[in-house]
Order: sequence, then C-alpha cells, then structure tokens
Amino acid sequence: MNSYFASVEQQANPLLRGKPIGITGKHGSIAMSGQRIKVNTDGVHDRSVITTASMEAKLLGVKTAMSTWEARKICPSLILWPGDPHKYSEITERFNKIYNDFTTKVEAFSVDESFLDVTEEAGDYFTATFIAQMIRARLRAECGEHITASIGIGPNKLMAKLASESMKPNGLTVTRPEDTLKLLDSRELDDLCGIGPRIKQRLNMLGIETFKQLREFPLDSLESEFNRYGTWLHEAAHGRDSNVIQSSTVHGLRGMSTETPKSYGHSYTLPRNTHDKLIVKRYLLGLADKVAWRMRRDNFAACRITAFIRYGDFSSHAEQRTFYIPTNDGHKLFQVAWQIIGNCFAGEPVRLVGLSASKLTHKPGQQSLFKKEQKIQSVLPALDSLQHRYGTGVWTRGSLVKTHFKQRSSGFHFDHLV
Amino acid sequence: MSFLESKRMHELLNDPIDVLVSFKDNRVFPHTMRWNQKDYKIKDVNLVHSAREGSKRVFFFSVSDSNNYFKLKLDPEVLEWRLVELYTDG
Repeated sequence: MNSYFASVEQQANPLLRGKPIGITGKHGSIAMSGQRIKVNTDGVHDRSVITTASMEAKLLGVKTAMSTWEARKICPSLILWPGDPHKYSEITERFNKIYNDFTTKVEAFSVDESFLDVTEEAGDYFTATFIAQMIRARLRAECGEHITASIGIGPNKLMAKLASESMKPNGLTVTRPEDTLKLLDSRELDDLCGIGPRIKQRLNMLGIETFKQLREFPLDSLESEFNRYGTWLHEAAHGRDSNVIQSSTVHGLRGMSTETPKSYGHSYTLPRNTHDKLIVKRYLLGLADKVAWRMRRDNFAACRITAFIRYGDFSSHAEQRTFYIPTNDGHKLFQVAWQIIGNCFAGEPVRLVGLSASKLTHKPGQQSLFKKEQKIQSVLPALDSLQHRYGTGVWTRGSLVKTHFKQRSSGFHFDHLV
Repeated sequence: MSFLESKRMHELLNDPIDVLVSFKDNRVFPHTMRWNQKDYKIKDVNLVHSAREGSKRVFFFSVSDSNNYFKLKLDPEVLEWRLVELYTDG
C-alpha cells in the first residue's frame, strides 16, 4: 500500500487530502464523556516520530521515522495526525481478505505488504496482470479510492517486491524472468529487500557498486566475506530467490508470516524523562507482561533476559542474565530485568526502558514448590484465555492501573492484536 | 470566534449525539447529526470501521460535510451514537 496509514486517514478525512500529513507514532488519548482533548496538529508532538508521511509530505522531504520536530522543521505546513491502529488493522484485514479471494497462497509480509502466489490461478503473466487489475478494482471499491497500492509481478518474491517499488503511487510493474537483470541493473544495491545501508557500505568497500558488479564478483570471495549471506547475495544479484510464499492461513501467526522466533521484546519511550524509580518500575512490569503473554501465546519460555535503559542524553545501558529454568511468567521476567535496570539509576533522567527474552524453548518451566507461586501459575492460563477472547488490555495488574501505554501505529504488529 | 469558525482544529471528544440514518443492504447510512443543538448534514461517509471494546464490537463512521470531519461511534448494543473526533479546517 502507498503511504498506508496516511492514505487511510486521507480516505477517512477529505480535509486532509492533497495536504502534507505525518502520522505520528503513538495513538492519542481517549476523551471521557463531556471532555474535549485538543490535538495539536500544528505544533510538535512530544517524543514522537513520523510513522508514515503522505505522498505530499514525502515530496516536501518528510521521511518515515523522522522525529516530529525535524519533520516540522523541514515542512512547516505539515499536519501531524495521531495514528489510529484499530482503523488500520481493519483495513489490513479487509485487503488480505480480498487477496484470499484470488489465491489461497497469501503471505502477509507486514501490515501493508502481502505476497500472493498466483502461479496456478494465472498460468501466465498476462493473466497475472489481469488479476492485479481486478484486485486493484476491489481495493478501490471496498477500502476507498484514496487507499492505493503499488503492485509488482515477478517470478519470485524478491523480484516482485523490487518491481512493486519501481512505480509509486498506484503503480503496476511486471517483471518477467527475462527482464529481471534489467530491473536489477536499473536500481541501487540497497533498493533490494535484504540489503541494508551497512551491507551496501561493506559491498562498496569490496568495490561493488552495482548489481552487475555483484554478479561478476567471485562467489567464494562473497562467501568468505559474508558466509551464507554471500550465497544469498550472489543469487539475488541474478534475480533468483528460492523463498516460497508462506501462506499465513497455514503457517502464519495472526496473519503474519513467521519463522521460529529467536526472541520476544518490547521497549517504550516514556511520556517524559523521569528520575522516579517507581514509574520506570511500573513501565518495565507492563512490558514484561506483554513479552510474557506473547511467549505463552506461542508456547515459548525463555532462559535469558536482556534489559535496557536509555537516558535523557541518549546514552544507554543493556545487560543480560541467563537462568536454567525457563519462564514465561511476566512477574519473573520483570524481577530479573529489574535486577539489571534497578542498579543503573545514576541520577540521570530515564527516557526509555525495554526488555527482551531470548534462549527460547518449548519446555515448560518447573512447577514451583511454593503455594503462592503455584496459585499464580494457575491464574495465568485463565488470564490468557480472557486475552485470547477479548484482546489485549482486557486485564491489568492493580499496580499498573495508572500506567498507560499509548498504542503504537508503527512496526509489524498492531498493539491491540498481540 | 466560535469553535467551528476557527482556522484548523482537531479535537477528541465523547459527546452523545442524535443521528438520522437509513438502512440499506444490511448497512447503516448516517445522513444528519445533531450536536450542541445544531444540525449538521452529512455530505460523505468516507470510511466505516469497527473495533472491539471488551466483549462488544463498536462501529466508527468517518463522515464529513464541506468544512468539518466527524468521527462518529455507534454502539450497536444500546444504539447509542457519540461524536468522538472533530476536525475543521478553514
């Protein structure tokens, strides 16, 4: 989808159409009955980033992940708009449903990108193009004319994605197998999904500036520099990709394609920098509960916790602890993380806290000998079934009643769906 | 200067409102809303989406007239409409 969150807002609100708008990272507050909360669309939203810029804003130099103050500096007419994750997730659901009417092989790659394998349904590139046009017509009818998509048709996922990015907005680019090298040679190295700025820099240091040079570079030298990734680079430079569509209905997790996760983590930028240990403690506990719930949902437990803290001056500290008995209890994760974080208070204001659970296993933790802990262990499945049924936020700890996590409108998952 | 006469304004609210609607093909179409003793004729229904609030599902209607954008919330269990967001420009 093109400038996804911004175009959804422009669809919903015609007064935003044709204007530079920036969707900010965290959702605004909810007004109580009779209350009015003024949203500052002109001023700078505190500590937020632009998660999506409208096409108009992009033309004026606003980029994704730019801080709101920087974006306003570049584009003073920019309208800052708090994101609405519920709205976006329903539209995501809506267009994935449309895709499923055309093929069963649909892989949701992110909240606004999906891969469709129409090899069997189409048979050739002409029919695939026809299917793409039908999908576009359905998107227009069911999601709205201002929510547009760029479609790429190619022999594999890698080339289809590169093709889709060739023409924005509302483009349709067809790359047949015989056209892949031409497409690659017209693009920069880091235009390809899987090559980031650092890899590009390393390739440049090897004298590789283009895909043609990458193709001609000896495979064994690439492998000695990048190991297995070198093989992938070699194949990618030839337009080859062996990855198949992972249909989310079969393998996926809540509509997203998945590989076995290596870790689960959450971090949160506090509403304002704080010296208050209790506030940091509460946010950390809330984050630990989120991490623990996601692990329990996917039947994992962790043997390692990494906790991190970022101070007001953007310096940071991270440390990890490894333990023998795996756990997916939020309170236990918090206790370990707090041992790390609690020792890091040196009088400086804290900006961000986070934790990550890794060394994952499917083995259940050992049953506790203590009655209190046994009780907690028996409560967790009940809370989980509530959360499965009614969604995230259905329960909270008494100590976290006043700790409000604003919902993000960025990343690969919507907060209310995890 | 009254609120709706000011230049650009974006507000989150939660005010009960009266809405005149029609039903067609199992869908609801809001036509007019009364808020603060004033009637607003709805020109366009731009987007409809739903969200879960605890055990129930509520519906949001993003509607507009010439100068204002309104986000209306319908609770189908109690058939209550609320104005939850207002944006006006010019």
